[in-house]
Amino acid sequence: MKIVGIAACTSGIAHTYIAKEKLMKAAKELGHEIHIETQGTIGTEDELTDLDIKNADIVIVAADINVGGKERFAGKKILNIPTNIAIKSPKSIIKKIQADLGL
Amino acid sequence: MLKKLQLKKHAMTGISYMLPLVVTAGLLIAIGNLSGGSVIKNYKEAYSIADALVSLGVFGMGLIVPVIAGAISYSIADRPGIAPGLMMGLIANAIGAGFLGGMLGGYIVGYFVQYLKNNLKVPVWAQGLMPMMILPLISTMIVGLLMFYVIGTPIVWLTATLTEVLKGLQGGSRFIFGLGMGAMAAFDFGGPVNKVASLFADGLLVEGIYGPEAVKILASMVPPFGVALSWIIARKKYSKEEAENIKIAFPMGVAMITEGVIPIAARDPIRVIAACSIGAAIGGGFSMLWNVGSPVPSGGMFIVPAMENPIGFLAALSIGTVITAAILVLTKKPAADDSFFDEEDESVDLSELNITDQIR
Repeated sequence: MKIVGIAACTSGIAHTYIAKEKLMKAAKELGHEIHIETQGTIGTEDELTDLDIKNADIVIVAADINVGGKERFAGKKILNIPTNIAIKSPKSIIKKIQADLGL
Repeated sequence: MLKKLQLKKHAMTGISYMLPLVVTAGLLIAIGNLSGGSVIKNYKEAYSIADALVSLGVFGMGLIVPVIAGAISYSIADRPGIAPGLMMGLIANAIGAGFLGGMLGGYIVGYFVQYLKNNLKVPVWAQGLMPMMILPLISTMIVGLLMFYVIGTPIVWLTATLTEVLKGLQGGSRFIFGLGMGAMAAFDFGGPVNKVASLFADGLLVEGIYGPEAVKILASMVPPFGVALSWIIARKKYSKEEAENIKIAFPMGVAMITEGVIPIAARDPIRVIAACSIGAAIGGGFSMLWNVGSPVPSGGMFIVPAMENPIGFLAALSIGTVITAAILVLTKKPAADDSFFDEEDESVDLSELNITDQIR
């Protein structure tokens, strides 16, 4: 499964990056490809490429705030979650997506 | 319905845009005050670097309400929401509706722009004008006038009533006066209720009555000190994110800047506001009882030596701080997200999460 996503929290200095790490680690352990963009207070980092998005099976938006650039995901399957869910149970989320999409 | 409005998410977006401003402005004022600066009143006369830093910090403080209003409105209505939101914040500043007034203005104007965006039909030739002119102008005009004439009225009335009540309290015992003064000054962390108490104290200062001024200073310092102490006692009650905020709020509190507590209060308003108001009220009561007075209206710890009965001030400050901390420690629920990098997933109910193909 190919996953892309965005992480963004309120302060934009801690949870954003923890959520990203957790999702990346869980996806890799379960054998999926993943690319997560962070929208912290410092700005957007590791920006998703058009190719990443085009090839992705699912978009995970792990955010407590309104993220920018959502129009890039027109026509994609999207899962919106708060960062704390991504931090607490990244593997369960990815398994659930896999089950729901039947991939 | 309420869930669909996503009130919390928009507030969080507002706070995330506001935080760097609060921290920068607060620390500028603290650094400037420490080096002996004060707000520049006349730019045609000479001013020191310290004066310039304090003034810059004050400019920043003035931007807080417009920025949170603008960011909330942006979060709701995207780019067409920014300009109307910023202006609602300016109105809130001008009519004395403060932080809460700004948030309210941001919500109303944001939803209004969003409503217009979805429901206002214009001819094709005018569609380019929608985001640029039609949406911001109509929403700013209508919600702006609403802010001036409707939303402003109860707040002005509240201000007037509270001033009357405060004047009445003065005849009662000093402790009760200190109690009311302290509760008001701490209640909204530098917002309109605090400003009423503050104005009242400043007015009495001119008359040579120094007691209320000391209560005002105390009540600005009890919230950051109390929250910091409760964090030291019970770290599990705060998330890592909140802990970062507290580490910034404490030094700001030393310089009598109470706004650093707002991010903590915004996450758990009832408990934090109650704890801070009660602590500041009791501290204020003792401050009045012990005839503490301050001839200087602001400066925090740095002007304590200049006070009447400075030992009494420190004792009252400590009592208020301990009470605020104790209430927080006893009532606050443990923060949920402190275990970051454990290997196994916590069990979280994911059944309500749904994959969608709608962008929202």
